[in-house]
Amino acid sequence: MDSNPSSGASQFLTNLPSRGTFSSTIYSSNQSGMRVYVCDHDTSPPEGQHIKTNQQNILIRSLTLKKQKADSSSKDGSDSSRKRTAEKVLDSRASAKKPNSQSNSRQEGSSGQSSNRDFQSLTVERLRALLRAKGLSAKGKKDELITRLRDADGSA
Amino acid sequence: MSIWNYVVTAHKPTNVTHSCVGNFTGPQDLNLIVAKCTRIEIHMLSANGLQSVLDVPLYGRIATLELFRPHGEAQDLLFIATERYKFCVLQWNSETSELVTRAMGDVSDRIGRPTDNGQIGIIDPDCRLIGLHLYDGLFKVIPFDNKGQLKEAFNIRLEELQVLDIKFLYGCPKPTIVVLYQDNKDARHVKTYEVALKDKDFVEGPWSQNNLDNGADLLIPVPPPLCGVLIIGEETIVYCSANAFKAIPIRPSITKAYGRVDPDGSRYLLGDHTGLLSLLVITHEKEKVTGLKIETLGETSIASTISYLDNAFVYIGSSYGDSQLIKLNLQPDAKGSYVEVLDRFVNLGPIVDFCVVDLERQGQGQVVTCSGAYKDGSLRVIRNGIGINEQASVELQGIRGMWFLRSSTDDPFDTFLVVSFISETRILAMNLEDELEETEIEGFCSQVQTLFCHDAVHNQLVQVTSSSVRLVSSTTRELLNEWHAPSGFSVNVATANATQVLLATGGGHLVYLEIGDGILQEVKHAQLEYEVSCLDINPIGENPNQSHLAAVGMWTDISVRLFSLPDLNLITKEHLGGEIIPRSVLLCEFEGISYLLCALGDGHLLNFVLNTSNGELTDRKKVSLGTQPITLRTFASKNTTHVFAASDRPTVIYSSNKKLLYSNVNLKEVSHMCPFNSAAFPDSLAIAKEGELTIGTIDDIQKLHIRSIPLGEHARRICHQEQTRTFAICSLKYIQSAEESEMHFVRLLDDQTFDFISVYPLDTYEYGCFIISCSFSDDNNVYYCVGTAYVLPEENEPTKGRILVFSVEEGKLQLIAEKETKGAVYCLNAFNGKLLAAINQKIQLYKWVLRDDGTHELQSECGHHGHILALYVQTRGDFIVVGDLMKSISLLLYKHEEGAIEERARDYNANWMSAVEILDDDIYLGGENSFNLFTVRKNSEGATDEERGRLEVVGEYHLGEFVNRFRHGSLVMRLPDSEVGQIRTVIFGTINGVIGVIASLPHEQYVFLEKLQTNMRKVIKGIGGLSHEQWRSFNNEKKTVEARNFLDGDLIESFLDLKRSKMDEISKAMEVSVEELAKRIEELTRLH
Repeated sequence: MDSNPSSGASQFLTNLPSRGTFSSTIYSSNQSGMRVYVCDHDTSPPEGQHIKTNQQNILIRSLTLKKQKADSSSKDGSDSSRKRTAEKVLDSRASAKKPNSQSNSRQEGSSGQSSNRDFQSLTVERLRALLRAKGLSAKGKKDELITRLRDADGSA
Repeated sequence: MSIWNYVVTAHKPTNVTHSCVGNFTGPQDLNLIVAKCTRIEIHMLSANGLQSVLDVPLYGRIATLELFRPHGEAQDLLFIATERYKFCVLQWNSETSELVTRAMGDVSDRIGRPTDNGQIGIIDPDCRLIGLHLYDGLFKVIPFDNKGQLKEAFNIRLEELQVLDIKFLYGCPKPTIVVLYQDNKDARHVKTYEVALKDKDFVEGPWSQNNLDNGADLLIPVPPPLCGVLIIGEETIVYCSANAFKAIPIRPSITKAYGRVDPDGSRYLLGDHTGLLSLLVITHEKEKVTGLKIETLGETSIASTISYLDNAFVYIGSSYGDSQLIKLNLQPDAKGSYVEVLDRFVNLGPIVDFCVVDLERQGQGQVVTCSGAYKDGSLRVIRNGIGINEQASVELQGIRGMWFLRSSTDDPFDTFLVVSFISETRILAMNLEDELEETEIEGFCSQVQTLFCHDAVHNQLVQVTSSSVRLVSSTTRELLNEWHAPSGFSVNVATANATQVLLATGGGHLVYLEIGDGILQEVKHAQLEYEVSCLDINPIGENPNQSHLAAVGMWTDISVRLFSLPDLNLITKEHLGGEIIPRSVLLCEFEGISYLLCALGDGHLLNFVLNTSNGELTDRKKVSLGTQPITLRTFASKNTTHVFAASDRPTVIYSSNKKLLYSNVNLKEVSHMCPFNSAAFPDSLAIAKEGELTIGTIDDIQKLHIRSIPLGEHARRICHQEQTRTFAICSLKYIQSAEESEMHFVRLLDDQTFDFISVYPLDTYEYGCFIISCSFSDDNNVYYCVGTAYVLPEENEPTKGRILVFSVEEGKLQLIAEKETKGAVYCLNAFNGKLLAAINQKIQLYKWVLRDDGTHELQSECGHHGHILALYVQTRGDFIVVGDLMKSISLLLYKHEEGAIEERARDYNANWMSAVEILDDDIYLGGENSFNLFTVRKNSEGATDEERGRLEVVGEYHLGEFVNRFRHGSLVMRLPDSEVGQIRTVIFGTINGVIGVIASLPHEQYVFLEKLQTNMRKVIKGIGGLSHEQWRSFNNEKKTVEARNFLDGDLIESFLDLKRSKMDEISKAMEVSVEELAKRIEELTRLH
C-alpha cells in the first residue's frame, strides 16, 4: 500500500462529489469585512419551545411506567409477555458484572428458545431446577432430564 | 489602575472547534458554519470560493454544533449547546436576514457529575430526537413531535460511566445510539441501545462489540445504504454493523477529526494528531461492505474539524494552527501530497505566552505571542495599524508635492512621477527596466514649484504652477494650451480632475476651468471674502471624470464651503469652530456614502456625511490623528477606495460596515503620499518622508495586523531583551520516531528578522518553564534567566529543576550560572536587584553573589512556604502577589531588614488560577480555570488582623476564555491629548487566540457605561435567547454570582453598529444625545 501511494490514493480521489460550487478555476475569497451580527430583535423562542427537563426521578418514573404497563397488560396479555422478555434481557445485562452467574442467567432468560445443545451444556442441578419450575419430575439421568425438558417445551 | 474595569476584545477568538456544511441561509444556499468557541461564522459556498456572510457572537462557549433538518423544512436548522448547559435551535430568516430562535432551553441537572470527555450532543438522522450526554451516567433526550417541534426533555440512565463517544445509527426503525465506552478495566467496547421514547428508557440494541482497540476514541456513523458504524482506533479501524465486521490495521496515529466526503458514506477524510490527512474508503458491492482501505493524502494543520465542502475543496478547522481551505488533487505533487493549501485563516490560539514590545520604537506596543502547538507552533507579531512594505527608495530632500501621471488616457499604468520642490519640478519616468530615471516633459514648466498635476482627457496632462495652468499632450509632451493667472495675482492652491481645474489666487479669487481637447477654458470666476486655504473637486458622482461639487476651505472665518460646478454657486457653508485653519479638504465616497473630510492644521480631522444632491453636511465628527497639519489623498487598494492622511502620525481612513475607521500607518512622519500603479509596482504608494522618497505596497486595510513566524516547534515562553535586541523563547520539539519524545530548548532570536541566532538544548526530561530578562544589583549586565523542571515519567510532581542564567555575547547564549532547585521553577521575577523564583510550593529569593574567582552565583536568601503550587508570581516594590494552583491569590511582603518573606493577606476562595497581574498597589487581577476574571483588594485599613489578612473580592466577571497571561501595555499609540491616552490597560491572551484589553476607568465613566450596558442589554438580545447577564456572571463549580465592577466592552461598543432607531431608543433611556454617546464609545474603541 505504501510502496505505491500515488496510484493508490488517486484511484480513490476520483468522482469527488460536486454540487456546483467551487467550480471557478480562479479561487478568490472574501474574508475581510465579515459583518458582525448585532441582534436587536426579540430572540425568545415561540410559545412552548422553551424546553425544560422532566424533573421526575428516573426510578420513580420507571416504576410509574411499569405500573401503567402492568395495568394495561392485565387487559391485554399478549403485550406483557413481549415486554417481560425485554426486561429479562435487561436483567441479565445488569447481572453480567458477576462473571460466574453470567452463563446461567443468560440461559435462564432465553430458556424458551433453548435447543438440545443448550441443555447439554447445563449442569444436572440446573436441569433439575428447570424441571421443578415446570412442575415436572426431577429424577433420572441427565439425558432423561433433557428429553423430559424438550418434550415439555415442544408441547408448550 | 482601579477596580472599575472595562474588558474588550482586540482580537476575536480564532480557534476553530466545530464546523458543518448544510443549507442554512436558504434551500439553495450551501453554507459552511464554523464555531470559534464563542462565535459562529456563516460562510456561503460560491463558484469562486468561500464568501463570508456573518460573524455571530454567542453568549456561551459552544460545546456542540449540528445542522439538521426536521421533516417538512426546506432548509437546515442549527442546533447549538453551550458549555453552561444551555441550548438553542436557530433558523435563518432570509427575508429579514435575521437569526430566529426556534427553540431554546436549559439542559442542566441539579445533580450529576460533568463528563470528563467533554459534552456530546447528537441529533437522530431521522430527526426523532436530540441526544445529549452531559453528565456521567445520564443520557438526555429532547424528543421532536411530528411537526418538528421539541418536547419536554428527559433523562435516561446510561449504564456506561466512562463514555468516549456516542452517535446515532442510520437506517434504524427506532432511534438507536451506539456508545463507545471504557470499562473499569480500561478495556473499550461498543454497545447499541434503542431509545424507547414512550417508555423513556433504553432497550438493548441490535448488536454490540467487545474488546476494541485500546485507543478507540471516535465513532463515525455510516449513512444508508451501508449503515453501521466505523470505530476509529489508534492502531485499527473497524467497521461494525449488525451483520458485518471488517477491520484494517493503520499506522499508529490518533485521529482528531473526520469529515464525510460522499453522501452515501463510502469515503471519509481523517485528520490525525500530527496533521496528516488520510482518506478512508469503505469498499462495497451494492449494500454489502467488502472491506476498508486507507490512504494518506498529505499534510495540513492539525485538524480539530474537517468539512468536505464541494468539488474537492475541504475546510480544515484547527485549534493548534491556522485553519485552512484545501483542495484534493487527483495527482500528487512533487512531494507526493494530494493536498493543496489554497487559503489560510489566521489562528492565534492557543496563546501560551506573549510579550509587549515596541520594536520600531514608535511609542506603540506590539504583541508577540507564542501561538499554536506541536508542529504548528509559531510566533505571531500583532500590531495595530497598517504597514508599508518598502520596495524601493531614493534620497530626495524637500519634496513639496508628488503626482503620478500616465502616458496616455487609456494606459492602465502610471509612467511619470512629478516631484515638486520649492523652486523646481523634476520629472521621473519608468524606463523599460522598470527603474525610475529622470526625464522631461517639454510642455511642463520645470523651473518653478508645481502646485498640482493631473491626467486629463484626450491624452493630456495638466500642470498648475503659481503663475499659470498648462495643458500638455501626454504623447508629444508639448504644450497645447496655457491659462495665465491675472497679473498681480498668483495661484495659491489648485486642484484638478480629468476634465476640470479649480484654483484660487490671492485676494480670494476662485477660478474654474474646464479641459477640452487641446483647450483650457475659463468657465467661471468667483470672488470670496477671504483667502482660500484648500480645495477639492474629487469626483464622487457617477461620472468618474467630473465633479458637480467643489469643496473649499477658508482662512479667517475658518469654514469649509461647498460650491456647485460649473456655476460656482455657494451651496453650504460650515463653520469649523476654533482658530485652526483647514489645511486639506477631500470629497470621497465609502461603501456608497459620500463624505467630506476636512483636516486641520493641528492634526484634527473633521468628517461630515455629505448629501451630494443638495450639498447638506450632517453627522459631524472630530477625531485627533496627530499634532501636525494633515494632507488628505485617496488611494485604491484591492478595488476599494481609502484615504491616506499624511502627517506626523500617518493614518489610513477606511470604512467597514458603513462606519469610518482610522488605522495608523506604521511610518514615522509622512509629508506627502501619492498612489502609484505600474507594471513593476502594482497598487503601490509613493511616500515622501524625512528626505526620502519610498515606493511600497500597503498591507491589507484592517485594524490588527498579524505577522506569522512559523517555528515548527512549540514555543511556550517568550521574553524580549531591549539591550541586546533579542527575544528568547523556551520551546519544545516533538520528535517523531519509534518512541515519541520531546526535546526542550532555549532559543535566542533576532528581534527584527526573527531568525534563530543561538540555541541552548536542555537536558533529557528537562522542561523550560519560564524565562525573563533581568539584571542584578552591583552588576551592569543584563541576563536571561530560565527556570526549568525535570519532568520524570515516574514522578507526579517534579522534584528537581534548575535556574539558568545566560548572557548574550556576540549573539550567542552563554551560560553564566546555574542553580539547582528542589522542584519546578514555575515563575521568575526580577525583584529588588535579586531573583524571585516560584518553586513548587515555595517562593524563594536568590541574590546574585560575586565569588572570589570573579564569577557570579545565585545564592538562596530567604523563602516562603505554604502554597499548593505557586504558579504565577508578580511583584511590585516589596510586594509579591502569588497565584496558586488552587488557592487563589495571596499577597506576600519582603522585609529587607529581616531578610524574610511573610504572608500579608490572601483570598480564601478556592480559585484554580491561570494568571495573575497587579493592577495597582492595592488591586490584583486574576484569571481562573473556569474562564472567569476577578479582582481582589488589599484591605490595609482593616481594623483587625483578620480583616487585614483577607483579600477582598471586589470584581467578578465571566470572560468565557481561558487566560494564560496578563501583561501591562497597550496595542495602540497613546496620543497625549486624548482622554483615552490617560487610561491604563492590561492585555491578556487566551487559549482560543483572543487578545483582549482590560482598561481601568475613572469611577464617573464606569457608572455612565454601566448604565449604558444595562440599557444595551434591553436592545441587543442574545442570539438564541441566551442572556447576557447570565453569560457574564462569575461561574465556577462552587458558585455563580452576578458580574460586578467589570463591563463588557464588546457589548457596549456594538452600539456603533446599531440602527439609528435603536440608538435613539438607548439615547432616550440614557438621556444623552446619540452623538455624545457615539463619541464617548468611539473614544473607547481607540483603546484597542
